[in-house]
Amino acid sequence: MSRVSRLHRQGGAAHVFLIPWWLGLVLVTAVPLVASLYLSFTDYNILSTPEFNGLENFRRMFQDEYFWAAVKVTVIYVLVSIPLQLGFALLLALILDRGLRGLAFYRSAFYLPSLLGTSVAVAILWRQIFGDDGLIDRALSVFGLELGSWLQNPSLSLSTLIVLNVWTFGSPMVIFLAGLRQIPEELYEAAKVDGAGIVRQFTSVTIPLLTPIIFFNLILQTIGAFQTFTQAHVVSGGTGGPANSTLFYTLYIYQQGFTNFDMGYASALAWVLMIAIGLVTAVHFVLSKYWVFYGDD
Amino acid sequence: MSGLDRRGFLKLAAAGALGAGLTACGGGSEGGAGGLSLRYAWWGNNIRQQNYMKALKEFTTQNKDIQVEPEFAEYSAFQERMTTQMAARDVADIFWIASPQVLTYHKSKLYRRLDDIPTLDLSGYSKADLDSFKLGGELNTMPFGIFVPVIRYNETWAKEDGVELPAVDTDWDAWAAFLVDYTRNNPGKRKGMAYEPDADLPFESWLRQRGEQLWTEDGRAGFTVDSTRAWFDWWDKLLKAGAVLTLSEQEGMSPDWALVGKKVLAKVGNSNHIIDDAKMFPDQRFKLRPTPVAAGAQAGHPFLYFPRMAIYQGIDDEKVQAAGKLVNYNTNNVAMLKTVGLTMGAPVNPKVFEQSKDFAGQDEKEMLAVVQAAREAERKPRFEAPPGTSTWRTAMARVAEEIALGRVNTADGSKRFLDEVQAGIERTRK
Repeated sequence: MSRVSRLHRQGGAAHVFLIPWWLGLVLVTAVPLVASLYLSFTDYNILSTPEFNGLENFRRMFQDEYFWAAVKVTVIYVLVSIPLQLGFALLLALILDRGLRGLAFYRSAFYLPSLLGTSVAVAILWRQIFGDDGLIDRALSVFGLELGSWLQNPSLSLSTLIVLNVWTFGSPMVIFLAGLRQIPEELYEAAKVDGAGIVRQFTSVTIPLLTPIIFFNLILQTIGAFQTFTQAHVVSGGTGGPANSTLFYTLYIYQQGFTNFDMGYASALAWVLMIAIGLVTAVHFVLSKYWVFYGDD
Repeated sequence: MSGLDRRGFLKLAAAGALGAGLTACGGGSEGGAGGLSLRYAWWGNNIRQQNYMKALKEFTTQNKDIQVEPEFAEYSAFQERMTTQMAARDVADIFWIASPQVLTYHKSKLYRRLDDIPTLDLSGYSKADLDSFKLGGELNTMPFGIFVPVIRYNETWAKEDGVELPAVDTDWDAWAAFLVDYTRNNPGKRKGMAYEPDADLPFESWLRQRGEQLWTEDGRAGFTVDSTRAWFDWWDKLLKAGAVLTLSEQEGMSPDWALVGKKVLAKVGNSNHIIDDAKMFPDQRFKLRPTPVAAGAQAGHPFLYFPRMAIYQGIDDEKVQAAGKLVNYNTNNVAMLKTVGLTMGAPVNPKVFEQSKDFAGQDEKEMLAVVQAAREAERKPRFEAPPGTSTWRTAMARVAEEIALGRVNTADGSKRFLDEVQAGIERTRK
């Protein structure tokens, strides 16, 4: 059978319909990916032809204090905000799973921040809430605490963005809720018969059977947290200040690429981030063997 | 099945895709109503956007064979869009140039020469003026406004508070002493000024009074660590004395005037900012005065800053005359200024400068007066920011911020700032 007729048999029309997707994949993802890999080994200021400079961009990172500041901010953010966010999401999912009246309303209401949390509007709202004489400042002043603008205090500014991320717990919450619904009720009944209380049921039934969902959420939210950009850009006015305390890694890539015109260095930074995310994800997968329980294990 | 079979559908889809592709590849140079279409890129706030849209519409009404496609953005977004357009070799036909990018764009050969375009009338400028506009010995950008460094103060509050400002030629220390005194004694609990050591023109004024420059003719940093440190020290003393707003009070560096305008008597800045800023406080009257003058200031320290526009080097030949007309409308036509106001500073063309006095409002007259004084003063040449310094103000703001937070002292901060600026220049020169 010729290749053409085989292709036809396998669904020529389907291939035609897939052309836009293939074009998108190649032109919008694959080509820029390969181009950025090449650019990461060049000195490229956008305005002139890229010049190959070997590993210079990668060497430069080690001496770049802002690179290390960005790494520190991003790592702290990931390490603190993800456990808090997932913990909060699980807690709310457990509460909603108890069959509350108006469940659909609460689910939508709690999911809403996930849609809005990364928007410019909410980041601006955050500036108002945590700004000088803002809602938080006024509330604390009742207790004699006058901290001024949290966003201009290097010790507090990152925490406001962590709170913002935790607030967007709706997306993992909905996934947790779906996972909780999949746990067979008879397992709880069996546990009760064996004398297990609520805490024991939670630790011995709910958590083990929910580990694939926890793992899924952990991977998704970690990757997302490493790529945090909009909130930091809006809240700090694009500077990553005060004193680099909100200089997220992606914000620094953006500054180098689009403000400094140093696209070669920005590409190298982007590749380091991609490799770091890949490594973290790989480590998660390796460690998952020890704590994620699949039904067919 | 009636109608289209699968083969027919595939042919139709392929034909449609081909048609769409050909349409997309079609030239975009012709205006919708016939004639040429020019892309015009500028930055600003909403008020400026609306005013310029109106003025561009008036231009196309007068020149029916020319259409104008506006490309507007806020200042930072404008520069970012320019960057991507340059990468794609798809820059607007006429574009404004952000101050840190003048020589960067020049090095990238973005500008077309202007003195061979008959529709751009240069007869209103002296030879000395035209020479001062040139970059690399060629007239390839056109200034369309003049800014000078100023101190802007709220005259209404000064009167209400019964304070008398120091003489116009006061020195920096006397001005600082006045601010400290004002902050301590005014009944409104206002501060003297906002904390703005990263204000570029006032910093340049400070340097030139000390015989230094911001940038040298050969594209280097023209200032020393000592002068920079003295500048940061001056601000730091004001901050510690409580005479300027804290970072918390002004919500960071580069404060929003709508916020700090309620909290301070005065601010340093550019002369043209009074036009838009004063409108935010219509019940107040604002005045301008030159920046303080250091004792023993060098002769020729006053300077003019020109915002510039250019015609893109890659413009189609058939559009050049039309582009010249539009640049001419921007730079030499008082009718346009009547529409857009003097938000981009005093007119550069001396004749238009004089004509603009007839329609200028009180804030604009205030601005014209300080520019006129600087224009008439002895002035040594000033040079544009060299390639590699596009983020020098960001670096300065970062250091000023760290000084304010007590994380670095003024000596180390000044050295770090200069090192960063020089490293940027060196990287570009490699």
